[in-house]
Amino acid sequence: MRTVLTGCWYQLLVLRRSPADLMALFVAPVNTAVFLAIVRHADRPDLVGHAVLAPGLMALWAIALITCGELIDAERFGGTLEALVAVPARMLPLLTGRVVVVTTASLFAFAESWLVAVLFGLRVPIPHPAIFVISMLGTALAMACWAGVMASVFVLARSARIFQNALGFPFFVLGGVLVPVAMLPDWVRPLTNVVFLSWSSDLLRDALKTAPVQDFAGRLTALLGLAAVGAGLGAYLLSAVLKRVRSLGTLTYA
Amino acid sequence: MIDEYAVEITALRRVFATGKGLRKRGPGHVALDGVDLAVRKGEVHGLLGPNGAGKTTLCKILSTVLLPTSGTAKVLGFDVVGQTSRVRESMGIVFGGERGLYGRLTARQNLKFWGALHGLHGKALRTRVDTLLERVGLTGRADDRVEGFSRGMKQRVHLARGLVGDPAVLLLDEPTTGMDPVAAKDFRSLVGELRAENRTVLITTHDMVEAEQVCDRVSLIDAGRILATEPPAALSEWITRFERVDVPAAPAEVVARLRELPGVGSVSTEDGRVRFETTQEGVAAQLVRALVDEGVTSVTTSKPSLEEVYLHVFGHNGMAVRK
Repeated sequence: MRTVLTGCWYQLLVLRRSPADLMALFVAPVNTAVFLAIVRHADRPDLVGHAVLAPGLMALWAIALITCGELIDAERFGGTLEALVAVPARMLPLLTGRVVVVTTASLFAFAESWLVAVLFGLRVPIPHPAIFVISMLGTALAMACWAGVMASVFVLARSARIFQNALGFPFFVLGGVLVPVAMLPDWVRPLTNVVFLSWSSDLLRDALKTAPVQDFAGRLTALLGLAAVGAGLGAYLLSAVLKRVRSLGTLTYA
Repeated sequence: MIDEYAVEITALRRVFATGKGLRKRGPGHVALDGVDLAVRKGEVHGLLGPNGAGKTTLCKILSTVLLPTSGTAKVLGFDVVGQTSRVRESMGIVFGGERGLYGRLTARQNLKFWGALHGLHGKALRTRVDTLLERVGLTGRADDRVEGFSRGMKQRVHLARGLVGDPAVLLLDEPTTGMDPVAAKDFRSLVGELRAENRTVLITTHDMVEAEQVCDRVSLIDAGRILATEPPAALSEWITRFERVDVPAAPAEVVARLRELPGVGSVSTEDGRVRFETTQEGVAAQLVRALVDEGVTSVTTSKPSLEEVYLHVFGHNGMAVRK
């Protein structure tokens, strides 16, 4: 636990010195403004919730993809990965602490979107606040778990940035971030079902509707199950990747 | 006695595959080729060799960040492959160079971070960090960002980081790179203190003066093999057990006559200064007597320095790095 806290402390220092790591937080209000303008132009006040949630989810994913995804690779690039591997503390809790801080910071995007909606003179009521909060926490947890997977995988790719750039919009679609997955073709559903964002976005949107949320427990279980898969996969990949780079001698670029 | 040794390396071999992934081809690059080495507890041991000799590869294997292809390496009796946690608890590492520190953090923050990863926290961590900053002379710049430091100052932070876990064994990979002469001298004093604290230090360096001054023993390494392990003074005898005779000036006919003496290996002249290299024991004394008899009274005898040993052994490499 102490190593997790060390990771949190360190990542807070880094974020304070490198605000660009959270660039998506600067983009989220702009996205919100665009989506709200479209909704207003289409005269669809029923979609305001969609327009406010989508930029937050997009920022959450983008930050996980870029910032969390590069956590280990940045250490390698900076020449500190060797030293990190050589200390008694384990890498997994250290990485966990760092990912938790980045993910928590990225949640600020939802608050920004909400504020933009207020500036547009719109109110976004939350008829099911408990469901909304639990779903949001589940989403953050799942994102943190899958960010660990990305951090491990991107170490193996010298041109990780290409993958990072390519993995944005496909997951916005498969995750039903702006367009609910129910509106996608049926043949896409098997894919969307294994993307935790699809469960998150549906739950969060439903929490903004007055109608009762159907099968909340089952859908939350699916979300948390996918989070658990991500956590297990991340832990396994981190261990395997570190073993591989120690074996190949690619722990450092130089 | 096995407990006598802090580092024990047996038949250590490391081969780097050439090519990538499934496209591996060829026999690979042999970085270490059957290295045997034992470093006693409390010893300051130098690793000397040209670029690409295998020094850093050896350090990386000992510090558990690289897996050997075959052979064994133990630190304080713990295997670097099977008992990595125990090895990491007892070892500090200083990989030299500009990289390896968090530039946007201050020196104090860097050390606090690394100290925390060594299990320190609270007052113990703060005290250790303050002590180390004082020890490496960075107290006055402790709260400045490392990215603004000179190379020598960064090297001091590296040193402090290596010591933050209070290690029994310290690996220093070219630790004085970038340090000015005063800082390098202070560093040698620091190594002396580490020896007094009974820590074991394994140091790779190209600085012969440093090796002669701080190391109890040095190992010459080239092409992944240990060529010799001796105290610095004894290594001089490794290339020649015999003295050289230098005279600032001597008549050419005297030099020509003495060149023919049995046991005189070579004679070189540079800026009028003549050096006789002997190949047999006792010939230096004969040479001195003969020179005095010829009226040459300014005569000095000497043995090769470690630098000369180094140049003698590795000089043929020139700028080339072994493939």
